[in-house]
Amino acid sequence: MKSLPSDLARLATEPDTLAPESAEDVSSILRHASKEGLRVQVRGGGTRSGFGAPPTPDLVMSMENLTAVEAYEPDDLTLVVQAGARVDDVESTLIEHNQTAVLPERPGDSTVGGVIASGASSFKRGRLFGTRERLLEATVVTGDGRVVRGGGRVVKNVTGYDLPRLMVGAFGSLGVIVSVCLKLWPAPPDRATVTVDSPEAAAEVARPLAVLQDNESTRVYVWGTAAEIEAQTAKLGGGAEAGHHWPAGPVDRFGWSLRVPPANLTGAIERLPTEWRYVALHGVGEIRAASPRIDGAADLRSWAEDEGGRLVVTDSPEGGLDGFDPWGRPPPGIEFQKRLIAEFDPARVINPGRLPGGL
Amino acid sequence: MSYLEALRGALGEANVLEEPVELHLFSKDASLLRGQANVVVFPQDADQVSEVVKIAEAHKVPIVARGAGTGLTAGASPTEGGIVVVTTAIDSIEIDLENRSAWVGAGVINLDLSAAAAPHGLHFAPDPSSQSACTIGGNVANNSGGPHCLAEGSTTSHVLGLEVVLAGGEIVRLGGNAPDPIGLDLKGLIVGSEGTLGIVTKALVRLLPLDPDVRTMLLAFPTVESAATTVSQVISAGMVPAALELMDQRMVQAVENWLQAGLPVDAAAVLLAEVVGETEGVEAEAEIIADLGRANGATSVEVARDETHRATLWKGRKSAFGAIAQLAPDYYLHDAVVPRTRLVETMSAVYEIADRYDLTMLNVFHAGDGNLHPLVAFDASDPETNRKVHEAGDEIVAICLKNGGALSGEHGIGIEKRDMMRTTFTELDLDAQARLKEAVDPSGVFNPSKVLPAGSRCFDFGGVRRKELPEGVWV
Ligand SMILES: Cc1cc2nc3c(=O)[nH]c(=O)nc-3n(C[C@H](O)[C@H](O)[C@H](O)COP(=O)(O)OP(=O)(O)OC[C@H]3O[C@@H](n4cnc5c(N)ncnc54)[C@H](O)[C@@H]3O)c2cc1C
Repeated sequence: MKSLPSDLARLATEPDTLAPESAEDVSSILRHASKEGLRVQVRGGGTRSGFGAPPTPDLVMSMENLTAVEAYEPDDLTLVVQAGARVDDVESTLIEHNQTAVLPERPGDSTVGGVIASGASSFKRGRLFGTRERLLEATVVTGDGRVVRGGGRVVKNVTGYDLPRLMVGAFGSLGVIVSVCLKLWPAPPDRATVTVDSPEAAAEVARPLAVLQDNESTRVYVWGTAAEIEAQTAKLGGGAEAGHHWPAGPVDRFGWSLRVPPANLTGAIERLPTEWRYVALHGVGEIRAASPRIDGAADLRSWAEDEGGRLVVTDSPEGGLDGFDPWGRPPPGIEFQKRLIAEFDPARVINPGRLPGGL
Repeated sequence: MSYLEALRGALGEANVLEEPVELHLFSKDASLLRGQANVVVFPQDADQVSEVVKIAEAHKVPIVARGAGTGLTAGASPTEGGIVVVTTAIDSIEIDLENRSAWVGAGVINLDLSAAAAPHGLHFAPDPSSQSACTIGGNVANNSGGPHCLAEGSTTSHVLGLEVVLAGGEIVRLGGNAPDPIGLDLKGLIVGSEGTLGIVTKALVRLLPLDPDVRTMLLAFPTVESAATTVSQVISAGMVPAALELMDQRMVQAVENWLQAGLPVDAAAVLLAEVVGETEGVEAEAEIIADLGRANGATSVEVARDETHRATLWKGRKSAFGAIAQLAPDYYLHDAVVPRTRLVETMSAVYEIADRYDLTMLNVFHAGDGNLHPLVAFDASDPETNRKVHEAGDEIVAICLKNGGALSGEHGIGIEKRDMMRTTFTELDLDAQARLKEAVDPSGVFNPSKVLPAGSRCFDFGGVRRKELPEGVWV
């Protein structure tokens, strides 16, 4: 790579890796990349770098120096935080006030920005909805270096187009997320995890937080006042453990996200090849799975797509996909997506090719 | 062939209105601004909408979608003329019980959807106070809210998919029952875009199960401040009730005069609170709200005895805007939002502004979200009053923004609030929004002049396109 301009060289942490310290730094890096035609991979915690088409960057932008909590208003249930903050750190701060941002429960090193860009959600999404419902405001830097803000720091807002929501699952294709305002939720300290015989048993309680099924068992997650928990546990037939015990996402050579209409979830579980490990979210239609081999994926995908679903590759060994598209059939409205990207990242420098349809 | 002939050919003469009195009827929504339609059409399905879009693009005529016309920001007013596309004939409801969702025609009335879902123990959460008239298409276009959006979120959280006619007349189906559609979230962008990006013909909406138990309570307060303080404290006590609605004395009196809902007319403010869920939790939460209310000086705490009593309390709240008609021929309201922690001071400032301008102001609003609706009842035929009303409105918005708020919580921007966009966004922010519009609606036929102030695109001047600018000149 050509040598960096001096104002950027100070941000280098490794060769070809820059760690910006402000939105302005992010802007300088992206303007430089747009001018030189460099492909930039944005790295949060690096936990989802296998998601989407494998990146082949000229430059890595590490978000490790953008981790500050800019504003936390516990009494208003809002948090403004920089994108590089680790999910774990954010949730630890919030839980001191019995609050949560409802981000993924077993985040590893993932960052707030990474979770948003990859569209990952909490297990509690069946009750409290997914990550896209958390985002109130976003400050992003477009591919050509413009710092723009959309949304606002209030819990309800229809002022202009919903730019923040467009960032969810966009893999940075429109811009690098620098900071966000999240809508928080109270997190009652009393919690229980109840193992049940079958997913149908969960129907005894109204809108549980989560109903998760994996290779071993099915569990219902509840929280609330002690009296509420007692009542709900009784309805579920007892056998509750105190606290929430969230499964670690299965890990193997291949990682998968299978998304089907909720009514097809049980059918989808039955179709998983026997060697696949999985966690399925009842009422949502999401299955997180892992397998040692790719065998069976093509059939599963074609079934899922016929049912209005998707089978997406979230991780794979180098060269392991062998032509298997990470996303499958391109989504509808692809021409409109292309035009949106052209307006925001005209030189197509941020994570190019990582989105479905090679965008 | 003229576009009128083309429209008659595509939709049949019966579905094309051209008489002056008909055009007049469809040239205004529930705001104060009137437009002038050139023609009004009633397409029956997405294919016909697609034909209309192609005709509009070919003849460069604006196209303005319209549901019930209850919008409060002139969104559905054809202020640039053109074709008004009324969606009311697209009114099918297909409930999918297994997936707890429904494909709903854009012209379906909000309350009809919940009525259709109720026998299955399901409901559509967004419940604008106008729900007996407004359409799902209008709800989607405005990302409408309602009292029960406090816990469940606004319309956008309940739209799983859309059938929408975009530029070029292209019909696309976005999203679906499966979670997390791949690629950019076009569906999420179209919700709340106020008809400026395309015409929604159907929406796949989430239906939620009815709650096992509910407590609805009415608290009366000696001051607006004590009611607002209670709201802030309920939120900070670690709960998100299903609804927290505040009405001030003027509003309560207007409603009572009209409906006799049994509201306490001597209280300076009343708070309508509702909690839902399993019985045990509901009882505990209702207790906390009552205690906080009493600690703030509540003079009475009335808990709905049964479903009829509950319905009466809600009817009082949801009929509030209708009650204004007794006071003055017109009303003007803002729907700015403030952080819940700034509610008390913002309300004091709002009253001070109304007093200073000597205006009749009433307040009824979604207090739990911090979503204000300061409403001025007045006679718009007097130019002097008109001026005062708008000046006071500007001051109210300014104070909300200063307190960390946003311009609109649920009614949208339309034309009414369009030029205030500059007070809350930078030039680059607006330029980004203008780019979104341009990318999705390159010919600009969909609801022109709404939402974004003229010149939002930084390089609008003199027809200079971005690509022709010298390198490096990007701000
Ligand atoms: C008494 C009263 C109470 C109200 N209470 C509330 C409330 O509690 N919460 C709230 O959020 N709002 C409220 N509103 C505002 C209004 O009712 C909502 O914005 C409603 O969703 C508008 O629906 P509509 O069918 O009347 O839309 P219209 O007024 O016909 O149109 C509104 C906007 O949507 C666009 N549009 C309509 N249909 C489509 C479509 N199919 N595709 C694309 N664009 C479309 C129009 O072009 C326009 O920009 C209230 C209004 C009144 C008069």
